[in-house]
Amino acid sequence: MSGDFNIVGRSVVRQDAYAKVTGQAKFADDYKFPGMLFGVMVRTDVSHALIHSIDYSGLLDYPEVTVCDINDIRGSRKVGVVTADQPVFCYEKIVTPGDVICMLVGADESQLKLLTAKVKTELEELPLITDPEKALDPDATFIHPDKKSNLIVHYPLRKGDVEKGFHESKHVIEQKYTTPLIEHAYLEPEAVTAVPIEGRGGVRIIGSIQNPHTTRRIVAEVLNFPLTKVRVVQAELGGAFGGKDDLMNIISARAAIAAIKTRRPVKVRYTREESVVESYKRHPYIMKYKVGFNDDGIIKAMKIDILADGGAYASMSPFVTWRTVVQATGPYEIENVHTDVRAVYTNNPYTGAMRGFGSPQPIFAQESLMDEIAEIIGVSPYEIRKINGVKPGSITASGHKLRDHDVNLLSVLERAERETNFTERHKECSRSANTKFQTSQKFRGSGFILKKDEMLDNRDIIKKGIGLAVSLRGCSLGAEGIDAAAAYLSVQKDGSAYLISGLAENGQGLRTTFSIIAAEVLGISPEHIYYLEQDTGIIADSGPTVASRSTIMGGSAVKNAAEIIKKRFEEMLLTYWNIKSKDQLLFKNNRVYEQSRSISFSELCSLAYSKGLNMSAIGWFKGPSVHWDEEKGQGAAYFTYVYGCQVAEVSANLLTGEIFVDRIVAVHDPGKIINLMGAKGQVFGGVTQGAGYALWEGITTYNGNIRENNFDQILIPTSKDIGEIESIFLEGEDIYGAWGAKSLGEPTLELTAAAIANAVKNATGLRYFNLPLNPEEILLSRKLSPNDLSRGSTN
Amino acid sequence: MKRDIELFSTWKLDEALELLEDGNSHVIAGGTDIIPGIHINSNRFRDFNKLVDISRIKELKRISEEKDKIIIGAATTFSEIESDEILQRHLPLLVKAVSKIGSRQIRNRATIGGNFINNAPCADSVPPLLVYNAGIKINSIHHERMINLEDFLISPYRTSLTNEEIVTEIVIHKPRESLNDVFYKLGRRRGVAISRITLAILFEIKNNKFTDFKIASGAVTPIGKRFYEIENYADGKKIDRDLLIDISIRCGKAVLESTGLRWSSEYKLPVLQRLIYSLLEDNCLRR
Amino acid sequence: MIRRINLTINGDKVGIDVQPSMRLLDVLREILNLTGTKEGCSIGECGACTVVINGNAVNSCLIVIGQCEGSEITTIEGLEKNGELNKLQKSFMEKGAVQCGFCTPGMIMSAYALLLKNPNPTEVEIQEAIAGNLCRCTGYKQIIEAIKSP
Repeated sequence: MSGDFNIVGRSVVRQDAYAKVTGQAKFADDYKFPGMLFGVMVRTDVSHALIHSIDYSGLLDYPEVTVCDINDIRGSRKVGVVTADQPVFCYEKIVTPGDVICMLVGADESQLKLLTAKVKTELEELPLITDPEKALDPDATFIHPDKKSNLIVHYPLRKGDVEKGFHESKHVIEQKYTTPLIEHAYLEPEAVTAVPIEGRGGVRIIGSIQNPHTTRRIVAEVLNFPLTKVRVVQAELGGAFGGKDDLMNIISARAAIAAIKTRRPVKVRYTREESVVESYKRHPYIMKYKVGFNDDGIIKAMKIDILADGGAYASMSPFVTWRTVVQATGPYEIENVHTDVRAVYTNNPYTGAMRGFGSPQPIFAQESLMDEIAEIIGVSPYEIRKINGVKPGSITASGHKLRDHDVNLLSVLERAERETNFTERHKECSRSANTKFQTSQKFRGSGFILKKDEMLDNRDIIKKGIGLAVSLRGCSLGAEGIDAAAAYLSVQKDGSAYLISGLAENGQGLRTTFSIIAAEVLGISPEHIYYLEQDTGIIADSGPTVASRSTIMGGSAVKNAAEIIKKRFEEMLLTYWNIKSKDQLLFKNNRVYEQSRSISFSELCSLAYSKGLNMSAIGWFKGPSVHWDEEKGQGAAYFTYVYGCQVAEVSANLLTGEIFVDRIVAVHDPGKIINLMGAKGQVFGGVTQGAGYALWEGITTYNGNIRENNFDQILIPTSKDIGEIESIFLEGEDIYGAWGAKSLGEPTLELTAAAIANAVKNATGLRYFNLPLNPEEILLSRKLSPNDLSRGSTN
Repeated sequence: MKRDIELFSTWKLDEALELLEDGNSHVIAGGTDIIPGIHINSNRFRDFNKLVDISRIKELKRISEEKDKIIIGAATTFSEIESDEILQRHLPLLVKAVSKIGSRQIRNRATIGGNFINNAPCADSVPPLLVYNAGIKINSIHHERMINLEDFLISPYRTSLTNEEIVTEIVIHKPRESLNDVFYKLGRRRGVAISRITLAILFEIKNNKFTDFKIASGAVTPIGKRFYEIENYADGKKIDRDLLIDISIRCGKAVLESTGLRWSSEYKLPVLQRLIYSLLEDNCLRR
Repeated sequence: MIRRINLTINGDKVGIDVQPSMRLLDVLREILNLTGTKEGCSIGECGACTVVINGNAVNSCLIVIGQCEGSEITTIEGLEKNGELNKLQKSFMEKGAVQCGFCTPGMIMSAYALLLKNPNPTEVEIQEAIAGNLCRCTGYKQIIEAIKSP
């Protein structure tokens, strides 16, 4: 099949590129409606408190302002994807600084902002829990008293007998790793407008929404409307990375409440500061790993204990940490595994879905650990992974036998080794690692004024290092959710076609990818496909656009729809051309060929139209069944997997502690590539985000309050911060996905920090256990931050 | 902007000074601090509701060479400074420093006067201006005064400027062309970073001895600071490794003394000392 | 106090009656309906609101309209001329420099200002010119490529 494609696998210009380079693309805040009002949130300045009363008397002089709060909610007062613990407007408690008690609605947004100070609250402050390790203490205050515990979720996984495994191991080591709280930092802040539909038709919502069908469900629940009376339309989305889900649902519900109450369109748009304070983030993890192995390098046992800070609300924690428990051992076949993953409530900003989704954290830990094992038994990082890495037929930690696809872990690893001459360079760098640096860390916590012999020689300042990391990643949702997707394709009589899928464009290029798939099947050019505006009223709920599942799930549904229509054309042509078999029919170059004759696709469609042929179809793809035993953590967690290996080359400045990434080589097997240009873009973007995770990013809090609330403090990589990135694809075959097209978005990000950390070890001779590897971490092996709310990043 | 603020624009200095006479107005030039400051309702920009825009007053944007002096209009932008040939020749340290400030968009608007009048600890133009012994000219409708920049800067975000005054010029005696210069900025990122340590050093070497050694730092002290004692100590001394180490450690001590211990000291102080040594070794020892 | 401000936007001379202290960004988006210019941070750090004023890239969130009197302003909407895209717009499309597209208008305007002054920039000069334009999707590689060979 490979090599025979018309367009699949080539570089195709995005369908939305023209609108975006001309400034015509309409993002959520670009919509305006006649009579539109604005909604502005009112927050308190505490992190944990009981609400005794809210006093609006300060607003009496402003009759033009409408207040929306808990009393305006007819349906669910609390919402959530898994656990309904997040109030749309707080009424019992404040549990984190982002919490909103009410919304002021009026025509003058800047006036509303000034008036927020007029809303007075009577609060009773409660003890704070900001350390997740104390959340489960017997005397800890319950963040959500009705839950009677601060435990959000606990996943155990048991395979074999770890104690026996440790007993059989010559070496047993234990390590602890931590990762920080991370802001998605999509460039577009949240914005949404709710517009009442005439004649009690319900409400129409247009916003920067990642998952329109989820938003619809939450808004309908809050309004107590049937699903059909809430129509959610997605505006052009200015980046999400997992971040425009829960919060967007709640903001949309607030706007909808106000629109129904005032009978006017109501827009809510966040400033960057509001976005940072209220939006959820990537989970900080505390990870304890114990591993037993022998001189032959074979890992006998691994015991893992992971604690995730879920913050104030459960959000996606139960799903995020489930992926963690499945993948915590990495892509290694290990006989005895004992894993516990817990997520807990605290008063910190809440955490949920972010690109990677529970994998970047354990990969950092487990890939650091693999390098340590290699060093102890004296083999290279490449060798240790070859010894333990999964192969076709291997059994994962959850007892899943890997088959029905190319298990390409060792292939990506070998390719990366070859491409970078890894092993040789790794040896070279470790030989020249600066032993003086390792012993000269005397100023760690001791004197601030140096001694004469503590200066560095200029020749010893810059050190090079190389490191690698590998992963296997389960595609799509796995046993964590219902996994099915729809696509609607409607071919017109001139040969052009409408297409839409229930999965949504998040900026990643889904519309183009899906158009290519449909066009490939029909042998037409993707320009002839018009991708419809994402609207919950015209396409079936296909689950969320998360988990790198759009290409594999939505792509399969699109292919299914196109094949249904193609089959109808074929059958028509059998009669029309009076031929016996459709094997000779070839759909290519906007024509259909049969031996010596052919017909243009537009003529074909016109003919079909005149014959009353149904040229529209709904395609469907339901993921193969997967299962999970909650008690033992065993099962075929995902129906297929993808593999990746990244190599990082860094320069470490031993004087300042700065790390520069000179080059990343990313080798991925995402299955079949649909749009090469889009695929490369995913690699460059994912690697860059991963490098930010490794080196700079990290939201810090003081009593639950965020210190870094805008881009002067949230340091995401700029154009000057990352060296070369090289992307290499090994397209493994698979029985699932359109021609075997699987997942790429998240694998690109999840490996980078781990590879960089290993490269830094190679350069400095020192191992670091806590991300980000910022200058303080490099020089002092710890983080420094002020003892108050002052902004930490500048000093 | 959220609150009602009147903006008066003028092309003439006299008019601007007249507008400021009532003492209730705030000067705006590049606006890169004031505009977002007002937008986020920062308490530094709350007590006025009249802005006088001086960004297009020609005489405040002039760069000229007058005998032994260089004069820079206070409303000159960083981009204008970066590309000016007179400054590239005579004040290379200043050019190097301002070219590392913010982004291109910021440098196209932000002015040198605004940078030091704001007097943030991390104002990057301050250390080079201090080692150049910059003076500034200040005008109001009633008077004109000259003051050394060093005396003008009082404490973080405070200067001796009154509400009626405008800083009009920066005046610098042309340094000898034989002076060597070193500028270093440490940020948390390569692109668009706020300074964590800045260093501006000028020196000349005669007979393997320092003459005219000058050093100032930014971001490690509450405001940009010259280290005169260290300069006096260094001048006339034979340059060798020991001297450079000595200078570096003395700087560390001077910073510790003026700043005290801060949460960041554990990182910054050792790095500062090693940086100074490294820069001096690089620029003085191997010549 | 409303005042008439005269300026040239995308080649058209316009007079706007407006509070002189209104941010240029708000004038563009709210009054002139030129919504291609985006607001990402309001403090001059993200570059999404970049426009070109008298040949220089400027954050339109950091300048008020009263300071723009008599200026020539070019926004993303002004680059396409007579139905013909600017070469930068074309190369951004062809090189895959666009993902979510929110940073794209500001990014292109920074690149446009760079090429006005320096038609053949080096990679380092390009990186410097767009360092004030944050992008979270692309990792900048295809953007730099697009600016290098428009």
